[in-house]
Amino acid sequence: MIKKDNSRRAFFKKAAAVAGVVAAADYTRTLISSSSGSANNINEKYVGDVNTQDRIMSQKQLVLMTDNEKKLMLDELLDTYHKELA
Amino acid sequence: MSEVINTRTDDVKESRRDFLKNIGIAGAAALVASPVSVEASVGPANPDAEITVAESLQGHFVLMSDEEKEKAIERLEKRYTAKYGKKTTVSDVPAPEGVLFGYALNISKCIGCRRCVHACVQENNQSRNDPEIQWIQVMKIPKGNFSFSADKLYKGYPESGKLGDYGVQVGGNAYTPVGGLSTEETQNYYAANEMVPDKDYFYVPVQCQQCEKPPCVKACPVRATFRDPNGVVVIDYNWCIGCRMCQLACPYGARRFNWGEPNLPPAEMNPKTHYFGNRPRMRGVMEKCTFCLQRTREGRNPACLEACPVGARKFGNLLDPESDVRKILATKKVFRFKEEMSTYPKFFYFVG
Repeated sequence: MIKKDNSRRAFFKKAAAVAGVVAAADYTRTLISSSSGSANNINEKYVGDVNTQDRIMSQKQLVLMTDNEKKLMLDELLDTYHKELA
Repeated sequence: MSEVINTRTDDVKESRRDFLKNIGIAGAAALVASPVSVEASVGPANPDAEITVAESLQGHFVLMSDEEKEKAIERLEKRYTAKYGKKTTVSDVPAPEGVLFGYALNISKCIGCRRCVHACVQENNQSRNDPEIQWIQVMKIPKGNFSFSADKLYKGYPESGKLGDYGVQVGGNAYTPVGGLSTEETQNYYAANEMVPDKDYFYVPVQCQQCEKPPCVKACPVRATFRDPNGVVVIDYNWCIGCRMCQLACPYGARRFNWGEPNLPPAEMNPKTHYFGNRPRMRGVMEKCTFCLQRTREGRNPACLEACPVGARKFGNLLDPESDVRKILATKKVFRFKEEMSTYPKFFYFVG
């Protein structure tokens, strides 16, 4: 038979368990934030994003548009705008 | 015997109840302890400066009722005012009607001074140090990469013949554009103290191209990023889940992710903000150029344009044939990216 234990010992046991859970949660949070949150780490990730953009842009080529291409492009932009407005 | 079993069942139930109660107590204690431990780790903070539960649980701004929008704005203004120690306004001025914004940049005028970059950072409350987040990257491209032959520009297209305008000719522009600017050997990180312009280089600033058919919008799984009625692609920072799909989808790599809490000194914070524009962002959300919508929705020019010392930047309404951008499209030599992918950018590069 399992009996309810109201002793002081049981109370301290519960208190210790609660403190343990809180401490474990806080430690996990600290671990997570420190692994991704250090200034150097963040800087590296940001620079990584910018480098990706550099790589993308350095593979592109700007080409001159003919009058017809310009007209088609403008027509498409205006058409899309008016269609959405309607 | 059956009495014993019943008693045991009752005891077990009571014990389970106790167990759940303990879990509840532990959870409550953790919730109470969490802000305390955060405060202990970063020092005492103003509770008004923290993101509230209500803000964390708010919906998409576009789908909010007027009353909800008002409350959301009020919450943000209170938080920013407490955090930065200055009266901050968060506007929700809607997009003006009958406007489709377009931007044109004269690459023969740009001197690569990067004043636009710094004006953008200041105006839009970007992170300042470790890292300084920049929405504009200036590419430095050797002048030798530029080639243009005006007399061949229209070669390679179908021409009228004796039998009419039928048939397709190939060659010329059909496969090999006769004028263009290759971005090979581009340098993006030329030294901050370097004398500009270097006579052997072109400078091409790149920022969000505000595509009319934006791949980033299609990629967003929660529709946190969308195109506003003026054609500007915006982000609801509070609705963004930080999945970075939009960043992967952007063909110009123009989006920036807040990997950490942005470092914005209160003294440098611009207190005049817009919900979809330059209001301070939080860790874990995406950000990008919005053509300074906090300005342009009020009839002003973007900060980068105002900062340009040589007038290389032009901004206007594509629906207005008398606007600067429309005149440029009509009269100047305009470039497009060869690998355009039908995104229809509204940011044009031109010469002349």
